[in-house]
Amino acid sequence: MALIRTENLTKIYGTGEAAVVALDHVNIAVEKGEFLAVMGPSGCGKSTLLHLVGGLDRPTEGRVLLDGRDLTSLRDDDLAALRRRRIGFIFQFYNLIPVLTALENAALPLLLDGVKPAEAHRRAAEWLTRLGMGDRLHHRPDQLSGGQQQRVAIARALVAEPDLILADEPTGNLDSRAGDEIAALLRRISSEWGRTILLVTHDSRVAAHADRILFMKDGRIIDETRLTGTGEEQAQALRERMEAL
Amino acid sequence: MSVRYALLAQQPRHGYELRAAFEALVGGRDTWEVKPGQVYATLERLEEAGLIVQIGVEKEGGPEKRIYALTSAGREALREWFYTGIASDHHRDEFFVKWMVGLLVEGADLHRLIQVQCHALYQELHRFTRQRMEADPRTEWAYVLFLDKVVMHLEADPRWLDMVEARLEEVRQQPKPQPEPKPRGRPPKARL
Ligand SMILES: Nc1ncnc2c1ncn2[C@@H]1O[C@H](COP(=O)(O)OP(=O)(O)O)[C@@H](O)[C@H]1O
Ligand SMILES: [Mg+2]
Repeated sequence: MALIRTENLTKIYGTGEAAVVALDHVNIAVEKGEFLAVMGPSGCGKSTLLHLVGGLDRPTEGRVLLDGRDLTSLRDDDLAALRRRRIGFIFQFYNLIPVLTALENAALPLLLDGVKPAEAHRRAAEWLTRLGMGDRLHHRPDQLSGGQQQRVAIARALVAEPDLILADEPTGNLDSRAGDEIAALLRRISSEWGRTILLVTHDSRVAAHADRILFMKDGRIIDETRLTGTGEEQAQALRERMEAL
Repeated sequence: MSVRYALLAQQPRHGYELRAAFEALVGGRDTWEVKPGQVYATLERLEEAGLIVQIGVEKEGGPEKRIYALTSAGREALREWFYTGIASDHHRDEFFVKWMVGLLVEGADLHRLIQVQCHALYQELHRFTRQRMEADPRTEWAYVLFLDKVVMHLEADPRWLDMVEARLEEVRQQPKPQPEPKPRGRPPKARL
């Protein structure tokens, strides 16, 4: 069953002559547990799509359904509460708070939701440790590499145990090695921890980790390809490639 | 001098051992299998050329195995091979031929051709990415390095497809490639 479904999702910025159609009647469905990547050139509407799906912004037209529930009809405070509990965001520039430690940053969503500090820190430490940051709990962002900062941001996105993770160019600010590590981590978050992931990126190597790719252009979904295959298909492809060498 | 015999520089070996050492080096037999016959045929050829020499025989159980070492000429040939740049092989790309045929043939749906190829590339990229993730970087590092190379090369192909598609209309305006006309009359006399 689809966790997220959009119906004719449309976003127009500005009016009249200056109007920009950023999203043009987009219909997508993200299945529970699926890792879905959306690819497309800069300016094609990827971030806009993610913001609308995450309830950070409201569409000009159309609806977003989370588990069949229409987000666009919720009041602002109900939407904010739902967002805190069910959706985790990961951004290109991490958006960490500079004066807080890794642990405090990761615990923040729980504290804001009224969880007691001791409990919030315990849960944050647990996620940071799973993500390989167990020995950096008390470092501040400026004492961490880009890849490590993004891990903290991922822990923060997961700490409230949301079922949906939205990631906007999460490797866009990283070198290729750190980027690969973050992409591999997203894959594990889907495969091992069963989260549903909607990732937008223009990096094909990152998108290649997903189960399915949607291709976007000028505010529309223009194509789709399914990537997940069987083990036997994989082995066969490897053999063919070796023979070609 | 072939890649495989470079391993004789490490230590003298017999054919069977050489083959196993080579396969381990490239990340396992699945990556690059060498047939025993190939190994023995090449060893013979190299011996004739004076690049390797038999220095002993191992007889412990089973058939006897000839042990080879590099000669100084072999070492020199190896040096030369080692420090010579290698041209990458991008010729004879089947998709490229399809694409050119598509440009020449009336009614071919070139956008569909690109789309189908793009799907195939992403599926391949996904499979290798998975294998890369599943490989153990401590015990299978040769395989990991190999997969990194494959993934990085594959990553370039969709970018090229994007470019080809973007230039499609412009390219359609250009004259089509024609075979070189055959020269008329008698071919000119060869001059010494
Ligand atoms: N707040 C905004 N006001 C006006 N135009 C915007 C705004 N945000 C995005 N846009 C425009 O909408 C289009 C899609 O932008 P965006 O969703 O950020 O694309 P992407 O993330 O794929 O680069 C672009 O043309 C962009 O300039
Ligand atoms: Mg964006």
